[in-house]
Amino acid sequence: MSVENGKIKLELENISKSYKVKKKDFLVVDNISLEVCKNEFLVLLGPGLSGKTVLLNIIAGIEEPSSGKIFLDGEQIYGTHRSICMVFQKIGLLPWKTVMGNTEIGLKLSGVPKRIRRKTAQKFIEMVGLKGFENAYPHQLSGGMKQRVGIARAYTNNPDILILDEPFGQLDAQTRYSMQDEILRIWEIQKKTIIFVTNNIEEAIYLGERIILFGKCPAKVKEVYDIKLQRPRNNMDPDFLKLRKLISSNMDIDLGV
Amino acid sequence: MSKKKIELLGFKRDKWIYNIIIPVLSIITFLLIWELLVRYGIIPTRYLPRPSELINTFIDKLSNPKPEGSTLPMNILSSLRISLSGFLTAVIIGVPLGWFMGWYKPIDRFVKPLFETIRPIPPIAWIPLTILLLGIGIRAKVYIIFFAAFVPCVINAYTGIRLADITLINVAKTCGANNFQIFVKVGIPSSFQMVFAGIRIALGASWTTLVAAEMLAAGSGLGYMILMGRQFARPDLIVLGMLIIGSIGALMAIVLSKIEQRMEVWRFKK
Amino acid sequence: METKKTRFIKKAFYLLLSLSSIALLIIGWIFLASRRPGLFPSPQETWDRLILFLEKPLRGPLYKHVWDSLRRVVIAVAAACGLGVIFGTALGWSRLFKSTFGTIFEIIRPIPPIAWVPLITIWFGIGEFPKILLVFIGTFAIVVINTAAGVMMAEPLYLAVGKIFQANNFQMIREIVLPASIPAIFAGIRTALGVGWAIVLAAEMLGSISGTGFLIARGMQIGDTALIFICMFIIGIIGALLSLFASFIERRVCPWRTEK
Repeated sequence: MSVENGKIKLELENISKSYKVKKKDFLVVDNISLEVCKNEFLVLLGPGLSGKTVLLNIIAGIEEPSSGKIFLDGEQIYGTHRSICMVFQKIGLLPWKTVMGNTEIGLKLSGVPKRIRRKTAQKFIEMVGLKGFENAYPHQLSGGMKQRVGIARAYTNNPDILILDEPFGQLDAQTRYSMQDEILRIWEIQKKTIIFVTNNIEEAIYLGERIILFGKCPAKVKEVYDIKLQRPRNNMDPDFLKLRKLISSNMDIDLGV
Repeated sequence: MSKKKIELLGFKRDKWIYNIIIPVLSIITFLLIWELLVRYGIIPTRYLPRPSELINTFIDKLSNPKPEGSTLPMNILSSLRISLSGFLTAVIIGVPLGWFMGWYKPIDRFVKPLFETIRPIPPIAWIPLTILLLGIGIRAKVYIIFFAAFVPCVINAYTGIRLADITLINVAKTCGANNFQIFVKVGIPSSFQMVFAGIRIALGASWTTLVAAEMLAAGSGLGYMILMGRQFARPDLIVLGMLIIGSIGALMAIVLSKIEQRMEVWRFKK
Repeated sequence: METKKTRFIKKAFYLLLSLSSIALLIIGWIFLASRRPGLFPSPQETWDRLILFLEKPLRGPLYKHVWDSLRRVVIAVAAACGLGVIFGTALGWSRLFKSTFGTIFEIIRPIPPIAWVPLITIWFGIGEFPKILLVFIGTFAIVVINTAAGVMMAEPLYLAVGKIFQANNFQMIREIVLPASIPAIFAGIRTALGVGWAIVLAAEMLGSISGTGFLIARGMQIGDTALIFICMFIIGIIGALLSLFASFIERRVCPWRTEK
């Protein structure tokens, strides 16, 4: 583990998941063991349909693994947990709630009184740059704005671990680039352990301190890369491009098979 | 969690438990409570018959025309005959009409005002007029049921065909098909799902309206039978009739679903 | 190519078609009236009958009858909504509830509301309550089915959001499942209003001393076809108005629905 804060936050031990399809077992996650360090920006990179989303769902607790264990700060956890929040690919803002309503929902469900949770939510709404939009409804916002609310919502709940499941996948290229800078900026302001899933190599190298490469379905750890590039990173940088070539060559072999 | 409990018991078939065992137990409990409530006088027998009594009434009515003049099979047949003829006529006329209205604008513009004046009026409201003009015979009842089933058939066929995928239509156009061919080969098949939903509604409506018609225009049939049940203070007849009406309605819906499934398979094969 | 002129001609043609069909309707009406003078009133006669009715009310003025019918429907549908949403939510959310009470519901549901009339009359007579109860029975089933469908079809994504942000069962239903089901519930309410209107008419026709259904039944008994026409006309208008009202409310309550 060559990350600065060497403390291990999350540990997956032999996680597997298979689904029963017409009496046959369909393996989606294949015996994955990995460790996530505290406050690191970890990227899980893999082609589409490689089972990464299922793995994320298992970590977040909305799906049960067929076998294996998960440890948070050394203790085994089952199902969802206060300290693990998720930003969804399909954004998933509740359409009947305003931006403020969506952002504060974690605190509201935990019983935090109105005044306090409003203040906290307001802070994060401003942090993602949506000041003034507190009373807007999701259908009035653009894709990028909606996803920012998603990020604010997760942050407001003050989790230790933030999971982002291809959060910028539904956005256009331009917005995607600016959102990448956004998430880095937010992460610098308030450091959290981030697990970021993507199928885009450039995004992975741009964002991650460590990249775990997955193969095709079923999900298996293929390779782990430490990214030592300085921030802010430049995707025209020769070191960046060298890394890109290295990683993509591993990915290509995959897709060929 | 209940799943764990069942796994402990050694059965992984909680599907069985939830879909068969518990429902059956619930029904038995319900019947037991019913039986006991009436038997011990908490509900007087003039309000509600005992389930055990119902069985006797059923067997008796199979061959006994008293008190209203027809045996149970005769009533059932009479009701089925009238409702199905009204229903089928409505489907045969209504669905094609809906298709034509949805596809050809001139037909739509011409028929729509007439249709829109008829639509808001519930079928029940047509009964007095029809009875006055056509008497209390079978013809009147069939007309009423026709009205009830006609509207959903037209509406659903109309909506269904208008929702036809524009891409498919364009593909057909580039293949050189004329308007009528596209109508038959693309428009009509894509409306099947909605048409069947409409037919399902129409079937339910025709059965319901039949019962109403029979209660308002005396004669024979299940609706008449339960009305007479009130007349002759025979709540057992009433409840028996209600249950049979409900069962036949449900049965018809199930048969329709099976037909629909068969047609889906057949359609895919084409 | 369509020029502005051809488009205009087309539009005029369509308008002409619509108008001619209405004209045909009115002509047909007058024709039928002249053929069967005793039984079938002409538009003029129908109008006269309306004026006569307004001057000489039949067991109460016209608006009172209409109001009585409406009142019964609204009370019954309101009750059906309140209880129906609760029952339907339980049905959609809990498998156990569905297997127990849901089974009983499925057995009772296919019985048409009309078929309940003799039984209810034996129990409660011919007053206000039995009519409201009848409408309730008919509309309750509709609200329940629509609500249960809405709950079962709740977007899994929103349920996932709820789970991750630590909602307990009660919170899930209140904050997520119910709001997500509101479009389905309102579709159910709209249908229920239409059906309730039909049921109340039937109940009034079969035994009542007031209400629109009573009027139309009276017309049938004394052969007053003009009265029947008037009633049918009013019934149609009110039915259409109820539907519009329900759509209006639905749009106000779920503004995000129109976006989809």
